[in-house]
Amino acid sequence: MQISVRQICFILIFYTAVTKFLQYPPLLASYSGRDILFSASISFIVQGVVIWAVAYLSSKTDKTLFELIKDVAGEAAARVIYGFFAAFFLFMTLLPLFEQKLFVHAVFYDTTPSLIVFLPIFFFLVYAGCKGFKNIGRCADVCMPVFILIVAVILAMSFTEVKFSNLLPVLKTPLKDVFGGSLKSAYYFLEPSYLIMFMGHYKYKKGDAAKLTLSYAAAAIIVTLFLALFYGIYAETASSRQFAISKTSLYFSALDLVGRIDLLALYVLEIVMLFALVLNIQLAVHCIVKCSGWDCPEIISLGVNFVLACLLYFFDHKYMAIQSFYADWAWVAVIIFATILPLCAWALRRRKNES
Amino acid sequence: MTSLDKNVKAVKKILTSQDILVFEFVSDGGKKFAAIYADGICNKQLLGELVVKPLRAVKKDDAIEKVRLMLASPEVKDGDKIADAVKEIQDGNAVLFIDGEKDFFILGLKSPPARAVAEPPTQIAVKGPREGFIEEIKTNMGLVRKRIKSPNLQIKTLKSGKQSQTTVALVYIEGVCPKGLPEKIEKEISENKIDLIPDSSYVSAFISNRPRSVFKRCGTAEKPDIFCAKVSEGRVGILVDGSPIALTVPYMIVEDFQTSEDYYSSSYRATTLRIIRFASVLIGIFLPAIYISAQLFKIQLIPYRLLLKISSSVQGIPLSPSIEMFLTLLVLEVLNEASIRMPKYVGLAHSVVGALVLGDTAVQAGIISTPAIIIIAFSAICLYTVPDLVETTTTLRWLFLIVAGSIGPFGVVALTAFLIAYLVSEQSYGVPLLAPFSPLIKGDLYDSMIKANMYSLKRRPEALKSGDKVRLKSANKR
Repeated sequence: MQISVRQICFILIFYTAVTKFLQYPPLLASYSGRDILFSASISFIVQGVVIWAVAYLSSKTDKTLFELIKDVAGEAAARVIYGFFAAFFLFMTLLPLFEQKLFVHAVFYDTTPSLIVFLPIFFFLVYAGCKGFKNIGRCADVCMPVFILIVAVILAMSFTEVKFSNLLPVLKTPLKDVFGGSLKSAYYFLEPSYLIMFMGHYKYKKGDAAKLTLSYAAAAIIVTLFLALFYGIYAETASSRQFAISKTSLYFSALDLVGRIDLLALYVLEIVMLFALVLNIQLAVHCIVKCSGWDCPEIISLGVNFVLACLLYFFDHKYMAIQSFYADWAWVAVIIFATILPLCAWALRRRKNES
Repeated sequence: MTSLDKNVKAVKKILTSQDILVFEFVSDGGKKFAAIYADGICNKQLLGELVVKPLRAVKKDDAIEKVRLMLASPEVKDGDKIADAVKEIQDGNAVLFIDGEKDFFILGLKSPPARAVAEPPTQIAVKGPREGFIEEIKTNMGLVRKRIKSPNLQIKTLKSGKQSQTTVALVYIEGVCPKGLPEKIEKEISENKIDLIPDSSYVSAFISNRPRSVFKRCGTAEKPDIFCAKVSEGRVGILVDGSPIALTVPYMIVEDFQTSEDYYSSSYRATTLRIIRFASVLIGIFLPAIYISAQLFKIQLIPYRLLLKISSSVQGIPLSPSIEMFLTLLVLEVLNEASIRMPKYVGLAHSVVGALVLGDTAVQAGIISTPAIIIIAFSAICLYTVPDLVETTTTLRWLFLIVAGSIGPFGVVALTAFLIAYLVSEQSYGVPLLAPFSPLIKGDLYDSMIKANMYSLKRRPEALKSGDKVRLKSANKR
């Protein structure tokens, strides 16, 4: 087996959390206001159910999604669906890539540097992008303790200025906005699509579905706590605070004496963020290999990253437009690929049994 | 021409060098003998005492079996091929030809010049054994045998090097070492045909799956206690004739953070020291890069008061911070290199020139700032807390410095992520380099960054896939 359940649990915890530390809190705050936690909870509950369903499916079959589709609809259909998954993962990499670029420019440099300083990321993305599930799992083993340590430090530093009363009174925001916030931020919730890709690549043991779901729940708690801190500090102005994670620990009093150690912590957390970013590319490359049958992940990774680099170059300075496009339309792709298709895998299995 | 003359001539035809000596003698009974040996590496005194003296009593018609019984040398082998005789002579042994006989005796009288067993310079221990390996492989094998008296200890010797015919010994414990591993290593060593093996580092390159990598794939040991500990965990040890540095495979990076003393002192102390070593290596690699990044790209990283101090120090420095740091590091590397190579007598004078004249005057002249010197000096000290990794860490420090000076803090982060992605996929004979952290092996964590009590180390490292997993069976439950 290429990846272990423990490693997937780690991925579910750190990936789920770090991808939601930058632009997700201000975006959600702009829709849901002080009911930010309810919007987030709706998304987590819905995706948590899908995670459990996919994890539980693994107890019923040891086949990969590709094999399940192949058994039912033939290899051509499996290839086509994997092709769509590849496009989905690439599509879902673009916005986080832009977010990373802006985050790096804002947090790593005093003056806004040119795009060139961000381009070395592609050396990493090309190299790590072609690695298989074994590498993904092992990176998760390294990232997990780093993530726990850094998040603990940042959250601890954030507590000094927080006023949880800013979150009260609850449920005063119109429900339409609360649900709207969940829907518009749906593109941050891709976890079930990862799990369906990992299916068949790990050995399921009794109780693993619960472990995976609980890991997701742990991530949900971390994110919810962070959202509470973020809104507790910035209240109504939260929606205008970009890159939330870099803002919450800003007022920690000891920073005057010891320097911006919160920045150092963010730099270390950025390593984890890079691994979360490359996960989409790794899965896209995996899907392209399966779809095309061309077992040359190095070249595919190079090609995929070249496309991303071109898009990054052409749409540089167009972040707001891209973000609003994703907010308006990406939820459709998320519902299809991260909710409906993973649940459809159950149907594939059932039909196979009937045949 | 007698058979004795024929044999001697056949050997001398191949070994034409003047240091290959032939000692011909006749017993009191009139039987002729000829001993051939290489001068300087064969013990002539023993040849006289254990071979020539007893053979004086041989009678002319005594059979070869009787002659063999009269030899007092404890190591006697039979031979019948001239090629074997040549090989043994080159190896330092003596070959005894007997008149009228086609067969000959190989006498184990090898005694190459060797220094005494002493404490190695790079693995000094305050507590614990002080013996170190030397250049003589037989002595090293003896030092291992002295510590592992198990009948399962296997020492397999092979020759490597087309010209040097260097003896390489694979040391492992049967049943503990994973099956097939010694054969795999033996194959890799044998498949590489090189002229000369002057040191174990050559063998290390042969058995590395990525010899061009910055990260090594073999562990090293200069002390038999460390070597034996590694072998008893299930590794294969490699001794190379002429080298005081033994190799061990499979290798995990965490090994280099462990010292022999960790096992001879309390687990609390050992754990503290390991964490300090780990932190020191990280500081040693990253500190110059972070300083440069902070100065050039993100000044907020430096605390305000420290920033004031630094700004007053760097005021008037004509070089950019990255060039300044680069040059300071270059001076350090030059001083380091020169201090190793230069004769001891001039060493002191050069140290004074290097440390005082270069350092102090450069600061006073306003060419290099004090923080740059402090950071580079501290970084150098930090890296030497783990001397076995210095080759790798110093290279990485250069790399990070260049990246920090050109791309800034994001370059440092991206390079770190790249290295992690690289390291997690690398392995040494099937054992991941980053084990037991990636993949996470819970049981092995007890002897990694932390050093648990001996009673917590009942099992051999799981990562090594040892044949016998149990290391300690304790009567009382502790």
